[in-house]
Amino acid sequence: MSDNTISRRHALQGVAALAAGSIAAPAIVRAQAGALQLGVLTPLTGAGGFDGPRMLKAMQAVAAEVNAAGGLLGRQIALIVEDDQTNPEAAVRAARKLIDVSKVPVIMGTWASAVTSAVAPVCWESKTFLTTVSGADSITLLPHQGYLIRTQPNNHLQAAKHAEFMASIGAKRVFCLSIQAPFSVPTQKRLAEVLPQGGSELVGALIYEKDKTTYRSEIDQALRTKPDFLYLNGYAPDVTVLLRDLYRAGFDGGRMTQSYALTSKVLESLPPEVTEGAYTTQPSADVESPAFARAAKRLGIDDQDSYETQATDWISLVCLTIAKAKEASGTALRENVRKISQGSGMKVYTAVDGLKALAEGKEINYEGASGPCDFTDIGDIIDCKFRYQRVAAAKFKFLKIA
Amino acid sequence: MATEILQLIINGIMAGTILAVPAIGLTAIFAVLRFANFALASHATIGAFAGLVANVNFGLPVVPSLAFAFLAAGLVGLATDEFVLKPFRAAGFITTAIGSIALTIALENVVRFIFGNELRGYDLPIRRDWRFEGIRIGPQQVENLAIAVAVMAAVFLFLMLTRTGKAMRAVADNPMLANIKGINAEMVARIVSFVGMGLAGLGGMLIGLDTTIDPLTGFRAILSIFAAAVVGGLGSIPGAVVGALTVGIGEELSLLFLSPNYRSAVGFFTILLVLIFRPRGILGQRAF
Repeated sequence: MSDNTISRRHALQGVAALAAGSIAAPAIVRAQAGALQLGVLTPLTGAGGFDGPRMLKAMQAVAAEVNAAGGLLGRQIALIVEDDQTNPEAAVRAARKLIDVSKVPVIMGTWASAVTSAVAPVCWESKTFLTTVSGADSITLLPHQGYLIRTQPNNHLQAAKHAEFMASIGAKRVFCLSIQAPFSVPTQKRLAEVLPQGGSELVGALIYEKDKTTYRSEIDQALRTKPDFLYLNGYAPDVTVLLRDLYRAGFDGGRMTQSYALTSKVLESLPPEVTEGAYTTQPSADVESPAFARAAKRLGIDDQDSYETQATDWISLVCLTIAKAKEASGTALRENVRKISQGSGMKVYTAVDGLKALAEGKEINYEGASGPCDFTDIGDIIDCKFRYQRVAAAKFKFLKIA
Repeated sequence: MATEILQLIINGIMAGTILAVPAIGLTAIFAVLRFANFALASHATIGAFAGLVANVNFGLPVVPSLAFAFLAAGLVGLATDEFVLKPFRAAGFITTAIGSIALTIALENVVRFIFGNELRGYDLPIRRDWRFEGIRIGPQQVENLAIAVAVMAAVFLFLMLTRTGKAMRAVADNPMLANIKGINAEMVARIVSFVGMGLAGLGGMLIGLDTTIDPLTGFRAILSIFAAAVVGGLGSIPGAVVGALTVGIGEELSLLFLSPNYRSAVGFFTILLVLIFRPRGILGQRAF
């Protein structure tokens, strides 16, 4: 009896001490002990401000689904979100905060190549895993020691596909106007290599500065080479100015740009005659995959784009890798991501299905909404499809996915 | 080659003239309040968006929309100076300038909160350029040029002929003497904040008329505006015009021998060169 009394008293003292300790502990420590924190660093503002919030929503939807199914390693997932402002300096500050304060094992979401190039060293030096959509070839060539994967096709692959497309629609004399960015020179070189294979040629290229209110002189320089097709290799704020200036200059040839530079919002902001006939392209989601259908249902939208599906795949891959490794660290992600993304394991199309299979002791191969999600040793994806559209009367007209 | 040079000079004049309007605002504020007000960037954005509301939502033509842009940015400038920057001034000019950077980021985010991040365009028909002997000029640019010149003329007439304008010049040239003469420096500060930021707003809309706008419109232009004001002589109102044209034409002519991605660098090399040989800018720092 007395033993019981003593043990109850001790137990009560222990509970009281625990409660006092948890109240006294800083909020961040309590949060870490509770939820498993994963870092998100998307552009919520700046040139990527159109894609970033949608990518975040896609990740939040997967996190909610995983949490509803019981969480990860017995804990709920909490996304710690920072805005990279599509700005390398701001992104590095935000990444430092995620790594040093929130101690996240992974940062998901950098969009612009310049931002990823700035954030990547911060990540690998602190053994934090980074997932990105940036396309510049230089990114996976960085000495990242495996702490980086990207679900976006690299620039080399994209430029080749774009060149093949331009040649296939009859472009003979192509001029490339590129924004000053890590992908500019490699893109121009690759276009020059691939265009002649389709009977076309790159008649010239220039690199322009961002943030200019007009590109009249750059347009004059391009038009002096008498091109019949222009490849506009920039972001929405500058491509908008280029398209306007091209119309004013009386250029009636073809124009092609990335879908992120000519979005539906950009179409609304420009007079229809300025964008009429312009082609856009983007790495395509794998629209026929079960993962795509499940992601569409989860988000409640039918026409999710490549970025939304890539964001879905990042968080799914991260959750599955952590579950496989039974450890939430950057190094565990680096060591184990390919064990669940490729190979002969059972094909799974969502994080929740994959977690269930892993819990049953099965080997898995995650097949994503953006594509197969198989990675090379340096973190590039091996395969991807592209979607082509053309503007007609201020609306996008679907051409093909190939 | 001659045609190319002439085209670049015309492009430079067009770009420089639009730059001159907010540069006058920046330099006028510096002349009277003696600090570089970087909040000009967000006020240019506010003006651009106020003009957008007038033009797109209220269906007003360009000129009344520009007046709306001037008024909205001017009133916000007046309020932010009175309630935010004025208390900073006691802590010194550097603190005030840094405070103005914080202010501009805060205001930019207010614009983002209200209007979102999307690019937006004015409800204006787009026209093909006119061509004369191989030279092309945009009708919209010519209109913008005319508006900018008219605004600058109005500012100069205001400073030369009105009692308030003369009071502003007096405070800018010698605040102590102006005080002895009974000029109310506080009132002049308010007026210059209103007019300076109003000009920034008008300049923001002029930039937007030719392109599209988003919450970073002013921020993107601020370095060139600052360069224009410094080259011309920070504090000198005619200097802002000369500086803007120098930067505008200089950047364009650099394309003859440099890749376009070095265009902005030319503006800043110009600042360094001018300041090495004329530390107070081309026209010095006398307000007028």
